[in-house]
Amino acid sequence: MAINVNTVYQTVLLILNKEQRGYMTPVEFNKIGAQAQSEIFGTYFESLNQQLRVPQPNADYADRVVNLDEKISIFKEIGNATSISSSNVFTLPQQFSGTSSVLNMVTAPTQTAAQTQYVMGNNGSGVTISADQANNGVIQVFQNGILVADSLYSVSGKNINYYSNPTTVGQTILVNYYPKEFYRLGQVLYQVGALSTEELQRVDRGELYHLLSSNLTKPTTTNPIYTYENNQITVYPTSINGGVSVSYIRKPIPPVWNFNTGGSNQYLYEASKSFDFELHPSEQVELITRILLYAGVVVKNPEVIQVAASQIQQENINQKS
Amino acid sequence: MPIPNGGLITETNRQYYAGAQQFNTAATASVGQTFTSTFDTNLAFSGSDPASVGYNQNNFKIFTSPDANTWTELVPTSVISSTTGKNTAAIVNVGNPVALPLTVTNPDVLKDMTVVNASTGAVYGTVLVDLPIGNTNVSCNITTQIPASTDLRFQFASPWTEANNIVTVNAKLPASTYLKIQMNDDALGDMHGSYEYTRLDDIINNFLIAYVGPGKLIPSVKRTDVIFHAKRGLQEFSYDTLKSVKSQELTIPENLSLIIPQDYVNYVRLSFVDNMGVQHTIFPANELTLRPYATPAQDNDGVPTQDSANSNLETTSQITKKWDNNNPRKISGAYLNDYSIADVYWTSYYDGALGQRYGLNPETSQRNGWFIIDDRKGLFAFSSNLKEKLIILEYISDGNAYDLDARIPKMAEEALYAHILYSILSTSVGVQEYIVQRFKRERSAKLRNAKIRLSNLKLDQIVQVMRNKSKWIKY
Repeated sequence: MAINVNTVYQTVLLILNKEQRGYMTPVEFNKIGAQAQSEIFGTYFESLNQQLRVPQPNADYADRVVNLDEKISIFKEIGNATSISSSNVFTLPQQFSGTSSVLNMVTAPTQTAAQTQYVMGNNGSGVTISADQANNGVIQVFQNGILVADSLYSVSGKNINYYSNPTTVGQTILVNYYPKEFYRLGQVLYQVGALSTEELQRVDRGELYHLLSSNLTKPTTTNPIYTYENNQITVYPTSINGGVSVSYIRKPIPPVWNFNTGGSNQYLYEASKSFDFELHPSEQVELITRILLYAGVVVKNPEVIQVAASQIQQENINQKS
Repeated sequence: MPIPNGGLITETNRQYYAGAQQFNTAATASVGQTFTSTFDTNLAFSGSDPASVGYNQNNFKIFTSPDANTWTELVPTSVISSTTGKNTAAIVNVGNPVALPLTVTNPDVLKDMTVVNASTGAVYGTVLVDLPIGNTNVSCNITTQIPASTDLRFQFASPWTEANNIVTVNAKLPASTYLKIQMNDDALGDMHGSYEYTRLDDIINNFLIAYVGPGKLIPSVKRTDVIFHAKRGLQEFSYDTLKSVKSQELTIPENLSLIIPQDYVNYVRLSFVDNMGVQHTIFPANELTLRPYATPAQDNDGVPTQDSANSNLETTSQITKKWDNNNPRKISGAYLNDYSIADVYWTSYYDGALGQRYGLNPETSQRNGWFIIDDRKGLFAFSSNLKEKLIILEYISDGNAYDLDARIPKMAEEALYAHILYSILSTSVGVQEYIVQRFKRERSAKLRNAKIRLSNLKLDQIVQVMRNKSKWIKY
């Protein structure tokens, strides 16, 4: 469920190279690819707002709201909010710290015996990740350079648990870890013990005073509320200091087209060090077109820019008419 | 149909009727086992020691049984949560940690147990670690010196705890036995008949699911708005639609007054109850007398006087005193050989017409007594003939006083949805007036339906009433 980064890169190069228009280096591609992916991702929420106001056909594959939700669902997450010093103030999961977007390559030792559980080690430079980071990151497992399907294993903390014994002994298990980054807050839920789950309502600071003062609407553990300020949520009633979880949207992880150098100093695609576009496969055409738009700017070719721009515009009209 | 199978009922027959939920303990004996309550009623916990102050505030008890037949309440002194021992002929001094030497090893001495005197219950300290098998020295935190050769009891001061409907048993439960959560009678009384109602929280959630969202008349609404309108609706319905279930049995004291109930909004009826348990309505003394709101002390010119804080001085109400001392027979017109009779067209003995009354005033011609509401003091006051009488006060609240009140009869559920819907639409910008009017009518119609349903007019009862009216009703 992703768009292969190599397919996109090769397609872009093919179109650019036609009639010797120019060349895009892997570094340029990675940067522009991330930009194009973010642009497409950013349009989802406005489009969803527009489509929610339009009656949709109750037909498979034709409901635009459902289709958009399918595209967004790739980035939907649920995580626990952490109480600060057992107070009613909570930090959100996966807040971007400024350094966690760095790609970590964490390797495990070479497989010495047939086993189903492997523990993530370090990346060869002493960099390791914690169990909490592993639980809140995107994990990819490679066996001898081949990506292992998600359906064949699960991740629990730093453990990679194969559902059945993975092939033969002596393979190199490589684990790529990509930290998730918080993008947009969804629902906030409160649940402790065996009590029923309650949804918290988001309120502004201006409303808070009135709500706390009103006998009928003042927050209780069955009708809790929260304010969202400075990347923290403050929950009312103040007796709530745990059991808060949030659903949120995370950012797409930037694509990486990584390579080895061949005998003629040519770039050879290396899958185990690359990361695909996370967008829905249906976005492949638009993704390539948007990259081409920026590529046209890079190679200073107005014709490419014009064609790409008109194609994007046409596609937008089709999607929203 | 003993097992809930996806319908609205989520409690088993045993949970509902007997207030009991039974569990199997783990296959190996262990401490810290947890048991999750699935009662509709939340568990309330303040302590698991019957000697503790909070124990009576629990709404349930915990029982254990080896065979699910004979049940024993789990308290600190239970066999499961305590054991006995005796220290050697040496004094054990205060300290932490300190070795408490026992005469005989005891594998049931466990971490976190309290060391107490077996006879007096005096607390000596707590056990720090489980006593290893074969060992006789118990590592303890001793806070009070233990005399030599004292009979001791090791017990869990709190054999179990509860939080958020999960019971955690601190004591070591034997393998493959049984544990039971048993609701107290009071809680059980609240549980019985609860299927007649829908919780306000459920109403709010159902409303948000069914009536709010894209493509609906209300595309989006704040949950607090729904809560407000739901609670206001419940208040309004409580006043004139819902059944009055609130009542208090009281005895009228010497001072002839009773404090208005804490959750009182208005009265439905006050009655005194005779020896047969039959009610007799007590009527309001609306126009007969009044409890003054203020009784300022006046000077000789009739001007209110003030105290050193510049506030009016108050005196005792003379009206109240007169009313409390009157004889209600003088008001009702019951036979009385007296000239001073108020508000009754009465011809006395001396007029030569004994026993004859003319122009009976039906409003005052009753002997059940009178009551009046003293708004300033928050009291019901009664006429003197009701002194020490047993009365029943039926009143209405607003449905928001207590958590258990926040529920609505299913008969009126649809009316409450209509009320919330109308309230939100009528206060929203951009909603056409014809839509508002449509839902206003819908609310009105559904509320009328709810009133009819809740008035409980049954055909059999109507027929029975009409049987002495020379009418035949076929049914």
